[in-house]
Amino acid sequence: MSFSPSTQPNVTKPDWLSRIENMKVNRKDMNKLIMNYLVSEGFKEAAEKFEQEAGISSPLKLNTLGDRIKVIESVQSGKMQEAITLINQLYPGLLDDDRDLYFHLQQLHLIELIKEGNIEEALVFAQAKLSEVGEGNPTILTELERTLALLAFEEPQKSPFADLLQTTHRQKVSSELNAAILRFHNQPTITPKLYNLMKLIMWAQDELDRKKVKFPHMTDFGSATLEPPK
Amino acid sequence: MVPHPIFVMNAETSRYYIDNLYTQDNAKCYQALNFVKNSIMGSNKQKGIVIANGILPRLLQVLPDQTKTPDIRLETVVILGSLAKGSEDQVKALVDANVVTYIFNAFLMDDEPKFIEACLRCICTILQYPFSDYSVVFSDAAIIRKLIKTIEDSISNSICAMSILSYSCRTTAHQNILWEEGIGLILANLLNTEVDDLSIATLKCFARVCQDNPMISAALEETEYNGETISDVLDSMRGGDRPTSMRLAASKCITCLYRAGAINVNDYKVMYGTLPTLVRLCQNDQKWEHRVEAAEILAVIIEDDAELQYLASISNHLLQTLAEFVNYPTHPLGEYGGTYGEHRSKEMKQAAFKVFASLGANDEEIRKRIIETDNLIDHIVLGLKDPSPKVQLAAVRCLHSLSRSVQQLRTTFQDHSVWKPLMTLLEGASDEILSVTSSTLCNLLLEFSPSKEPILESGAIELFCSLTKREDHSLRLNGIWALMNMAFQAEQKIKSQILSTLGTDQIFNLLSDSHINILMKTLGLLRNLLSTKPHIDYIMNLCGGDIIQAVMMILEGDHLPEVKEQALCILANIADGDIAKDYIMRNNEILKKIQEYMTNCNAKLQAAAIFCVSNLVWKEDSGAADRQAKLKEMGIFKLLQQLITTSDSLLFDKVKTALTQFSDS
Repeated sequence: MSFSPSTQPNVTKPDWLSRIENMKVNRKDMNKLIMNYLVSEGFKEAAEKFEQEAGISSPLKLNTLGDRIKVIESVQSGKMQEAITLINQLYPGLLDDDRDLYFHLQQLHLIELIKEGNIEEALVFAQAKLSEVGEGNPTILTELERTLALLAFEEPQKSPFADLLQTTHRQKVSSELNAAILRFHNQPTITPKLYNLMKLIMWAQDELDRKKVKFPHMTDFGSATLEPPK
Repeated sequence: MVPHPIFVMNAETSRYYIDNLYTQDNAKCYQALNFVKNSIMGSNKQKGIVIANGILPRLLQVLPDQTKTPDIRLETVVILGSLAKGSEDQVKALVDANVVTYIFNAFLMDDEPKFIEACLRCICTILQYPFSDYSVVFSDAAIIRKLIKTIEDSISNSICAMSILSYSCRTTAHQNILWEEGIGLILANLLNTEVDDLSIATLKCFARVCQDNPMISAALEETEYNGETISDVLDSMRGGDRPTSMRLAASKCITCLYRAGAINVNDYKVMYGTLPTLVRLCQNDQKWEHRVEAAEILAVIIEDDAELQYLASISNHLLQTLAEFVNYPTHPLGEYGGTYGEHRSKEMKQAAFKVFASLGANDEEIRKRIIETDNLIDHIVLGLKDPSPKVQLAAVRCLHSLSRSVQQLRTTFQDHSVWKPLMTLLEGASDEILSVTSSTLCNLLLEFSPSKEPILESGAIELFCSLTKREDHSLRLNGIWALMNMAFQAEQKIKSQILSTLGTDQIFNLLSDSHINILMKTLGLLRNLLSTKPHIDYIMNLCGGDIIQAVMMILEGDHLPEVKEQALCILANIADGDIAKDYIMRNNEILKKIQEYMTNCNAKLQAAAIFCVSNLVWKEDSGAADRQAKLKEMGIFKLLQQLITTSDSLLFDKVKTALTQFSDS
């Protein structure tokens, strides 16, 4: 479809609002979206409350949500032995199915050892549990090399590989773990559906802009404020 | 000894933990199991260490031991489940130790949900391997019942149970057992769920349950679910908005229903739904595994129908796409070495060969286009020499299909000396490969095929004669068929070689074969051997007595008219010889048989018998007068005079020809 400049539609804010008004939104769908958000982000108590108040059941047994939070917390606080014990107890087989995640968890443990300056144990550990994952997997091998390179520096914090020591690295691994746990429960997507909807709005606005259509933009998503067309 | 804190075992520490599995102290035993579990999860190296140190027999002792706590028994299954996710060799160790049987026994004894789930996950992992012992599943009705019951438990259990059933359901008997247990309704209910993994597992089980089973397929197709027929549900799951593996699994189900006769070929779901989807999923924007699967299903859906073959051949550049399969690089750019790339290229190749075989089954034009595709014939010939039997078989199938073309036999097949690798295959391949190879060679031995001679010169006669002695009837058939084709218009030397190699004893064996096709081809061989006057006399000289005896055996036996007709035609050929005629004339019994068939109720048999008579009394042949006198004396001449009143025009002509041979008639 192409618009000639003369027939380009301009939509005023009142017109836009009344068009939006005419769209019917099903309350049940709204609730499902919210539940989906709470569950995939791990808001256990809120989800339980919402389950009661909105009378909507969550796709996942909520008592499993608490487990997931516990495991993720232990990763985020760097307690790797605890994390691995919990994972193997709650989700047996998960680490066998996802060897990348397995590597990343072991890598976190290695990093903890390096941080503690426990060089000898770090080497034994890398040899026993990490080297095999690197075989035949070039991406992992590079990551392993980067990690072991930390050993070469007196002050690893100031090395080029310091990013591995940051808490953001732990966060990265814990979201990988979160996704793996959801997969273990055969839950398909890990990004909340709301996230996709937001993207859809942005995409639609971009498309309209590209077509040079004048319409009220939503600029602040938090409050869904519409600005009149300029 | 202090346990190492980070779940690392070496040979020595692992022995310490395994020793602790023998303790009566449950707490200590659990601790040891727990440590082993945490060490081996995710690490094939650690799994290797505990297996090498003999953990398996101990685990299998603990498993059924009811004096152990539930925790201990759960941990045991979880460890077995983790070992099952190790390397192929490690899984082989589990299979050799009959782990599946042990776990099923435990599975039947226990109802604790976590334990059941762990059992199912472990068995499911092991049964994925083709070398696993899937027959255990159907060895006990209790296992099937409990598996079906666990489908209700949870998503995880239903996925595992569906997968276990689809790995193990291999025969019509298995299918019927599942059907009796009510699998139909369960499949319908779980087909289209919100959980993709479950839907896919259910589709896979569905395909296994209805494959080649017309009864179950028809019943499933008649099942309605939420107001929709099952095939409509399947069709929606094949749609473009679904994940690829689901689209493939649904396409396979529709293919099975169609091939088992439950859906018509003209149904839009077959022709305009599944077929284009499969062609589409072969394209190079898909993962290689999916492309292979799509091609394999495509080969099956079009296998039997010329219109589907034609449609596929003009869809979406299928031939070019398949050429990519065949030329798939073993080591794509930027990839690490190893045998993985090789495995992938083999899989791609054999899948493409299968589609080519189906595409070329009927249409000469398609065969031509296949041959003209990117040096394909070179790849097929290479495929014949491939170490992988799967590739070999697919390559021969492909050649077999292409060898139905007279044109290709005369050109491409000749240019590439295709017969050479085929002959090599004939020497030591499996029955399955042997069967397709020998069929292909049968085509290459047709009289217009230029390969016929070189094949004969390379010792084919011995090979095919030995095939006629095989247990498998399709091999016997191909053997005798090939010999029949060889003998057609062959030189005398070849004919006598066939006769002496095969031997009259074997001819009698084949004439007593319970498969009528084999009998017919054997008679066909005799007919081809006994053609042209000089050859007839020569062959009859070699073993005329046996041949007459063989023909007599057929004429006296309880056979269909077309079999007897062949036997009479052989007699007619013999009667066409010069000296050979005496073998009949001297034998009153056979003369009486001929006379008898002249008045048979089947006009074709009558015609064949009369043809025989007219050859015997042919006036230009020397000694005709004596023969005519003998047949007159027997009343055959009189019989002919009576038969001239027939209303059957074909028969009339034969009778007339015979009568005119008698002098002064």
